[in-house]
Amino acid sequence: MELKLISHLRVINKGVALVVGFGLLLCAAFVLADIIMRQIGSSLGGTEEIAGYAMALATSWGMSYTLLELGHVRIDLLRTKFQSFGKALFDVFSMIVMSGVIITIAIKAWPVVERSITNGSRANTPLETPLAWVQLPWFAGWVWFAAMSTITTLAALSLLAKRRHAETESIIGAFAEQETLQ
Amino acid sequence: MIGYVSIGLLGLLALSIPVGIVLFLLGFGIDFFFSSFPLTRGLGNMVWSSSNSATLIAIPFFVLLGEILVRSGVATRTYAALDRWVSWLPGGLVHANIATATMFSATSGSSVATAATVATVAMPQAEKLGYDPKLFSGAIAAGGTLGIMIPPSINLIVYGFLTQSSIPQLFLAGLIPGLALAIAFMVVTAVICMIRPDLGGMRRTFPFPQMLRALIDLIPILILFGLIVGSIYGGWATPTEAAAVGVAGAFLIALAFGGVSWDMLLQSLTGTVKITSMIMLIVIGASFLNFTLASAGLGRELTEFMNGLGLTPLKTILVVVVLYIVLGFFIETLSLMVVTIPIIVPLVVAQGYDVIWFGILMIVLIEMALITPPVGLNLYVVQGARKSGSLNEVMLGALPYCLTMLAMAFLLIAFPSIALFLPTFLQ
Repeated sequence: MELKLISHLRVINKGVALVVGFGLLLCAAFVLADIIMRQIGSSLGGTEEIAGYAMALATSWGMSYTLLELGHVRIDLLRTKFQSFGKALFDVFSMIVMSGVIITIAIKAWPVVERSITNGSRANTPLETPLAWVQLPWFAGWVWFAAMSTITTLAALSLLAKRRHAETESIIGAFAEQETLQ
Repeated sequence: MIGYVSIGLLGLLALSIPVGIVLFLLGFGIDFFFSSFPLTRGLGNMVWSSSNSATLIAIPFFVLLGEILVRSGVATRTYAALDRWVSWLPGGLVHANIATATMFSATSGSSVATAATVATVAMPQAEKLGYDPKLFSGAIAAGGTLGIMIPPSINLIVYGFLTQSSIPQLFLAGLIPGLALAIAFMVVTAVICMIRPDLGGMRRTFPFPQMLRALIDLIPILILFGLIVGSIYGGWATPTEAAAVGVAGAFLIALAFGGVSWDMLLQSLTGTVKITSMIMLIVIGASFLNFTLASAGLGRELTEFMNGLGLTPLKTILVVVVLYIVLGFFIETLSLMVVTIPIIVPLVVAQGYDVIWFGILMIVLIEMALITPPVGLNLYVVQGARKSGSLNEVMLGALPYCLTMLAMAFLLIAFPSIALFLPTFLQ
């Protein structure tokens, strides 16, 4: 059940990653268009600002995909010295800590959005973007990341409780990079 | 505070907690133990302001550019083309390994993908032509490290962002040392193969028309790199804009060579998101730690610490070099760079060193970390791609290149102008 859950999450987050990827592509096209316009004497304006927002959104929404693809870098020098049970303990511990930190970030991200909403803050730029428009989806990305890492942690804990240590590794292990290569 | 951060850092990393998360934890710790006002309140703002950055979006663009070139088969063509041009040298194909790895890891966000590509194409050839597997695979691992020095470099973007120094200047400063290292690698290879011709395999010459035809595969890539680097130096594009130009150029090249497919595009995009988020978690964590350290008065403490040690600037740098070599056995590239920036850079700058120069020195040192055991990602990647023999062979093969890098580090210390000549000359 846990493995099925995680594989569903992987599919969903791959979809999210694709949306983020196309968003980045669109942003690159926009920057490019601005360069060309500048050569012929006009400018779209505000590219810098939009690129910044795109990066903030790409970052917050891309995190879960990397998490589920085991892409966040860990130093597993000590961890590799252990058998599958020991490795599972390392992995579950690091997931619990990670979830705690991400939840904290998500909670602390809210006041930033809240302030923008109550003050009706606008960016100090020619576009005068209402900041809440960008910060709300940015905040939602961190909440999503917090939810994903919490669910993953719970799934791993449940596997650990059932003593299925080897399977734990497949959902929260370290350094999948070499295996996932083509 | 310095002791707390150092011990906490190594302890938490050893528990295999993700590097980015470790940085946040240390920041929370600084807030709890060393600060009189609650710094964690600023966490949300730090996360927002460090990711809302038009500078950092250059990272996914450069990653995407590399992904497109590698996944569309352009890297494979380049390798074959370089083979036509360099295989007459003593060491033959080994030079093509170094050159291809240098060119592609230069942009590809994952030196892993680059090393894997080169290793997959090259290894069968190595056996056929009788190359020594040690030197052959060591050269791929080592060549793959150069990418983070030769612009455009994602690591230099991150360094510039965290130390608030000029990224174009860093790119300029990395150019000469990067090319010098690539040439030094080739000279070292040639010398080794002249002393021990049995290591170098068969030298081959190709008829001139074949060499000319191979140029068709090389020129677009060279133009692309020239365009990216030239537009930054020419001052008409920021690194971010140049990166966007690069993405478009990579697409055109991949299209021209018939390597674009829907699948390849999707893979490149998800690959880009994965690598970008991995980098950004670490960068945001480092920004937060930087902020807490500065707010808690690290600067003053560092000055007292250094006065207490009574080291001369030169001795300080030598201690720093040793530190990176030792840490480099266990941690590598971006992680090593980012976790040390908050403490080491202020310390070095306080001793009167140039922040741009130190960025380049640091890159040489973290390049070494990529090919020093027990943790050297490139060693594992190459080993993973060749599927026979032992990891020890790759390590041994990488050793001469490792020593070359160490020599480059000392040259940089003795002659800082190797790095600083271009930025000062063109200013």
